[in-house]
Amino acid sequence: MTSPRLFSILRQGLHLIASVHTALDDSQLVRFQADLVERIGADRARGVVIDVAALDVLDSFGSRTLRDIAEMARLRGAVTVIVGIQPDVAFAMVELGMDTGSVVTALDLEEGLAELDRCLAASPLPGP
Amino acid sequence: MAAVGPVGSPDQSCASPDVAALIPLVRRIVAARVPDRATVDDLVQETLTRVLAAAGRVEPGMLEPYAIVTARNVVASMWRDQDRHRRHQHRVVDLRPPPAPDEDVLAGEDRAAVAEALTRLSERERTTLLAHEVEGRDTRSLAVELGSTAGAVAAQLNRTRARLRVEYLLVSERVEPPTERCRPVLLAISSGERRRQREVDAARHLLECEVCARLSEPLMERGRARDDAVRVPVRGDADIVAARQAARELATRLRFSPTDITLIATAVSEMARNIVRFADSGEVVVTELEEPRCGISIVARDAGPGIPDVERALQDGYSTYQGLGLGLPGARRLMDEFAVVSETGRGTTVTMTKWRGEA
Amino acid sequence: MSRNENPTVTAAASDGTGHLDQDGLLPQLVAHLREHRTRLRQEWARRIQEAHLLQAMTSQEMTAETTLVYDNYVEVLETGSVEALQHYARDLSERIIPRGVETNEVVGIVLLLRDVLARSLFEKYQRDFSLLNRVLDAYEPAANRIANTVAVSFVEERERVIRQQQDSIRELSTPVLPVRERLLILPIIGVLDRERARQLTVQLLSGIRTHRAKVVVVDITGVPDVDESVANHLVRTVDASRLMGASVIITGLSPEIAQTLVTIGVDLSKMNTIGDLQGGLEEAERLLGYSVARDDGVGGP
Repeated sequence: MTSPRLFSILRQGLHLIASVHTALDDSQLVRFQADLVERIGADRARGVVIDVAALDVLDSFGSRTLRDIAEMARLRGAVTVIVGIQPDVAFAMVELGMDTGSVVTALDLEEGLAELDRCLAASPLPGP
Repeated sequence: MAAVGPVGSPDQSCASPDVAALIPLVRRIVAARVPDRATVDDLVQETLTRVLAAAGRVEPGMLEPYAIVTARNVVASMWRDQDRHRRHQHRVVDLRPPPAPDEDVLAGEDRAAVAEALTRLSERERTTLLAHEVEGRDTRSLAVELGSTAGAVAAQLNRTRARLRVEYLLVSERVEPPTERCRPVLLAISSGERRRQREVDAARHLLECEVCARLSEPLMERGRARDDAVRVPVRGDADIVAARQAARELATRLRFSPTDITLIATAVSEMARNIVRFADSGEVVVTELEEPRCGISIVARDAGPGIPDVERALQDGYSTYQGLGLGLPGARRLMDEFAVVSETGRGTTVTMTKWRGEA
Repeated sequence: MSRNENPTVTAAASDGTGHLDQDGLLPQLVAHLREHRTRLRQEWARRIQEAHLLQAMTSQEMTAETTLVYDNYVEVLETGSVEALQHYARDLSERIIPRGVETNEVVGIVLLLRDVLARSLFEKYQRDFSLLNRVLDAYEPAANRIANTVAVSFVEERERVIRQQQDSIRELSTPVLPVRERLLILPIIGVLDRERARQLTVQLLSGIRTHRAKVVVVDITGVPDVDESVANHLVRTVDASRLMGASVIITGLSPEIAQTLVTIGVDLSKMNTIGDLQGGLEEAERLLGYSVARDDGVGGP
């Protein structure tokens, strides 16, 4: 289903942990998005952590893809937290002019999972 | 003068006295062409600055000819009131013979001129060159066939390439060499053989011959341009990643800060994507800059449909595909210099520069 | 090095230098310049004043410097030593850069000295035209060489000094202070332009990672003239920090200025602004889940 060399999607309790392992090109990102969204539905995940620490660049397409994933996950009743954005990458994203508004972020995987718990505790049942 | 540049390059610091020794020569050349004394001073200084900056990459024996050529160019560009460098940067990709030959010497874009130049080689030269370059035959098997050694074949190939470059320039510039000495001199310069250059007294000839002075410039700069420019053809998604990795590698080698490297890679990513989205194919050329200080230049060009309204495309929020409209304006914010030249139906060239330092 | 490899052009280029030693012209020339040192130096100083160069210097300094430069210049003419020349130029640059001397001034005064000396040589030898020609041929390349080397050294030295200053200013001006676990304070003092905002943001971002910060208090009490551009820099800093999972609280922004910024269209909605540093720290602790000192809803919108 997924190519283990490019990214992996693992289940942990009610959550999914999706890790990108290497720089992805646009079509690989699209496949990542499709696979992940499908897994969120199939596993009825409540939360998703996407670890992008391996990405050396998050340009407009990459950022938009992450935002789309978060939005689609929300429609399926899951909260998404992006973790592992490197300092230089974060800097480049804002210099580029990305609107980073709605996406939830955290420093790393550990923080991301804690953030998920906080979000889910705040709204125990996200939508019908 | 600031071009003397980066820290710790001992060969450059001892190059300056040699450059200083060129002053009378340069002054003579400029003064012969420009009446006004103040302007002469300016142009001499400009010439020396350029020669100084190039001192490290020009072969030691070629410094004087280089200065001669540079002085003539500086005078010429003053008359044209147009800086050669700028002209290059804003050039739209064009498959017909463009005004400046050097890039084409490298790219071999101008097929007609190459074909014509090929016919000027001897039968034997042509056959061997084509067998090597086109059919991919190695020098060893060619040597067996020709009853020679691999080394001799390689040397012959080098001479043939040098001749091809000269003939190519003559064809694409549409000039016939005015004297009998021209071809041997150009050939010596093209091959980079210093001994040969002395034998034919290349330096003196460049002083006397307007045509050769002009033609020899791309030949002398050839080696350098090939060494520090990386070309990435861009046809699909995967090439976007390849282009930004090429930029990242060069920027790393030039000791840019990690932050700047990421900014550069991000900008390249945006521009390469534009090529894939709008033009199907094009190329990204990443080049090291030495003047006026260390920097990196990125040229992204395509022969696609072009941008009808560049001004508007540079504004935030303008987008013709389902991206975020950050392509051009976003990349511009990431870089220090940014220029777009586009012609409807002909293509687009984006030239961007980042200087090493501050950040 | 090119001399032997390319004899023709070199010979055509600088006939003068060769004759110099053979004729013993050089010692004669140097002796002349030494003999008339006072007069020539004064003439030079006068020309410098006329040209409005080196105005940053007092007349005493001017006398001291011109004397030193003059002697060095003649010495370099005499010895022709490149090392001495470079050393002299670097020395000169070191002395005058801190006084705010510009590149064009340095080039200007060296060229003036060249002219003053050339004129004096002309006067001395004008009756013997061929000797004059030889003297000037000998003098000019050497003098040009000095001018060129001085200019290059000056620019190099100046760049080095500027780099050094920038580095130290950068280090001093943006300390990222870890106050307690997961909490950073970044007090910004001085003008916040684009370049500085970038450096500061980069520093803050790596600080966030190093200290695993969740909350950052950026205090801008020390920033004069907080206008639209400053506010936009801060918005980017806030955005970038948020991408790393850290919340930013801006303190030191007066309500009046905040109101003005909103009026001219700056989007402060994403910024958590609090009047003073104390309030900012309390809000930070609240966000971190520590005991809440007071909860009067000072948080941003």
